[in-house]
Amino acid sequence: MRRPDWAPESIDIERPSVARMYDYYLGGSHNFAVDRAAAQALIAAIPEAPLMAQANRAFLRRTVRYLVEAGVRQFLDIGSGIPTVGNVHEIAQEVAPDARVAYVDVDPVAVAHSREILSGNDQAVVIQEDIRHPERILDHPDIHKLINFDQPVALMIVAVLHFVSDDAQPAHIVKTLRRPLVPGSYLVLSQASHEGRSDEEREQAIAIYEQTDSPLAYRGRDEVAQFFHGFEMVEPGLVWVPEWRPDTPESAEDAERAVYIGGVGRLT
Amino acid sequence: MNGPSDSAPARGTLAARAGYATFARAWAKAITGTSYMPVTQAELEAFLESLTVRLVDALFAEPFSLRHGYQIGADLVAAHIASAEGLGRTIEVIDLRLLRDLGLSGDDVRDRMARVLGTVAIGYARALRDRTLDEQESIRRAALVAREQAEHALRESEARFRHQATHDPLTDLPNRTLFTERLDAVFGRQGTGRRLGLCFVDLDGFKMVNDTLGHHVGDLLLVSVADRLRRGLGTHLVARMGGDEFVILVEDTTCTDDVLKVADAALAAITEPSTVDGHELRVSASVGIVERPVEGTSPREVMRDADITLHWAKTAGKGRWALFDAGRNQRELTRYALSSAMPSALDRGEFCLDYQPLVSLTDGALLGVEALVRWRHPQLGVLRPDHFIGLAEETGLIVRLGSWVLAEACRQARRWADLSPTAPFVSVNLAVRQVREPELVDEVTALLQEHSLPPDRLQLEITESAMMSTADESVGALRSLADLGVRVAIDDFGTGYSNLAYLSKLPVCELKVAGSFVEGLRAPAADPASLTDERILATLVSLAHTLDLTVTAEGVETANQADRLRAIGCDAAQGWHFGRPGSPSHVEALLL
Repeated sequence: MRRPDWAPESIDIERPSVARMYDYYLGGSHNFAVDRAAAQALIAAIPEAPLMAQANRAFLRRTVRYLVEAGVRQFLDIGSGIPTVGNVHEIAQEVAPDARVAYVDVDPVAVAHSREILSGNDQAVVIQEDIRHPERILDHPDIHKLINFDQPVALMIVAVLHFVSDDAQPAHIVKTLRRPLVPGSYLVLSQASHEGRSDEEREQAIAIYEQTDSPLAYRGRDEVAQFFHGFEMVEPGLVWVPEWRPDTPESAEDAERAVYIGGVGRLT
Repeated sequence: MNGPSDSAPARGTLAARAGYATFARAWAKAITGTSYMPVTQAELEAFLESLTVRLVDALFAEPFSLRHGYQIGADLVAAHIASAEGLGRTIEVIDLRLLRDLGLSGDDVRDRMARVLGTVAIGYARALRDRTLDEQESIRRAALVAREQAEHALRESEARFRHQATHDPLTDLPNRTLFTERLDAVFGRQGTGRRLGLCFVDLDGFKMVNDTLGHHVGDLLLVSVADRLRRGLGTHLVARMGGDEFVILVEDTTCTDDVLKVADAALAAITEPSTVDGHELRVSASVGIVERPVEGTSPREVMRDADITLHWAKTAGKGRWALFDAGRNQRELTRYALSSAMPSALDRGEFCLDYQPLVSLTDGALLGVEALVRWRHPQLGVLRPDHFIGLAEETGLIVRLGSWVLAEACRQARRWADLSPTAPFVSVNLAVRQVREPELVDEVTALLQEHSLPPDRLQLEITESAMMSTADESVGALRSLADLGVRVAIDDFGTGYSNLAYLSKLPVCELKVAGSFVEGLRAPAADPASLTDERILATLVSLAHTLDLTVTAEGVETANQADRLRAIGCDAAQGWHFGRPGSPSHVEALLL
């Protein structure tokens, strides 16, 4: 009997997961040997890989703080991964305990883990869904239970779209996710870029991620800028992520080594 | 916590505070990037400054306690400064700069420093190890949960898919697929002498409900019927085959009665009145039933026979069941086979005519012959008209067959006319359909011309009932034929209305009295019943003569019958006594 398309996939932990590799870059131990082997291979090719992940995570932290200060109390974080240290609900609820956070990830282990971490937190929820199906995310009852789309929402698409190939029309995905947002909502988006990288590094990284559950799709600044179509960029615009409102001037040094390009856009 | 010793620096002074801040900044810088810390640089420095205070406390605590260092190490890990690099750089920066930045000194301060660093490293390593184990445990647990959920979801979705694939979405009854599986399973099971029953159920007039109340109400009615069948039939499998057709499988019947009870229960359940969308609806159904031993049949055969039987129940008037009857089915199959073979048989010349003499009762002369059609069937042999005329009438082939008979009879009549001046007329039976054909008159005229046949050499026989049922135009056609000089006879007179008054208005020259009256004349004349028949016949003959009609008696088999008919004045007779139907050569023999 052929498996119908709505039947779930089985769990394959023998294959590196980009969510758990990311946890490894951040210094976590929420990962398996396969994940560490793949992550170490990438670090061998690109030694700054852990710093890149940390820089991106720090970008996430600064943007969430910025948005909480701007009055945003609802966060829809797509591609949340392993929600360990410094995740959106920790950062937001530390400052604003009434902040509500909905996490979405395609990795079933990451989702199961998130569910465990979030148990007892009424202000946060996680669903398993693929960003390639944005309408399913928007229609999900758990999302609607927590997020009121009549109020501003911060749509977080951080370090995710480089796992979405052009065939899957990432710009259209972002556009679909933008549709229900009211003015005063924000888009926080970052993605890996090949700019400033040698062809060799880029090819090695792509080859390593071919072995994982999510192959890489690098994009240039102009392509990333298109995802913000319809949003008004918040200063300083689309930048290497360490350059986005750094805590100290030094922390923005060597910013282009961070690989990630990101920014915050506001819906007016 | 023990208070600081007298060697500890006084933290209150501005210079001392600056020293703590300087050291904390250097520490923060050293560990930045070793792992991800979810805080700003300023927050990190503030945290490390508080740890610096505790470090100094530990350094100068009296008596020296291991706990301070352990706790500092553990707190570093808790603040996500949690990597081998983080520990190495921490020890390095403390050892290099703490005493210098804070302007600390003392006799045994180097020894104390070594011990503090040792405890910090131990506390850190323990905490990092615990954290690693905890995280490993938690991710492993998450993987297990995810796998369990995926497997559960897969099982559920397979079950759901299986259910969807085997059930009808409207009524949730098993569908054709599941029914076929279950029926096949009955045949797959071992055991001799096992029987099964099948009911094919079809709602009567369901289309009417759909057409008048709409498909929505129709669907709701089907759901309601399905519920009632489910409730009313217990464990028997009820499936919806599509539309308003349901089928019930009765496994392991002991006799036909078992399945008849199920059929009765199904009919009772269906005819229960129900309110559907505010409409009080009462439907009936027809049921085709098959019950037989499993051995010697097949699922396909059982289904086909139940379907045929359902059709019987429908044609028998609906709202009932019918039980499959192999004999009836065989007859119908034969009829069907004959019916479909007939057109090409006609083309191939498989039909022929026999002729039976019509003899004068006055002088025994051969007056005419009745043409009787035969089918020389390649497998079944020679078939008499009662086997196929009814079928030909159903399919409409009767018109073409009738034309052929008419043409063949005319051709034969011509042949006999050439052989003898006293050749008999040929009497041909016309079906109602032929009489209604507008071309009949032209057709007969053309045949008479083609064969140069005198019109009175042709007689057309029409049954009394056919005559009564034909429209005025048909009567007009008969009149035209009679005007041409063609003989028109009423066949089988006495079996229908026998409307004598009507006879006078028709262009008829002869009555053929049905064999059933003549049959009565076989008994001895003293028999009262026989006498009655004789009197009726006598009256008929006298009346016919009054209307200027001649009378031919059919089915005359004995000399006694012939004598009695002659005695009452009957003009002519036909029957075995005067000659059986035979080939044209038999007639020729009579002529020569």
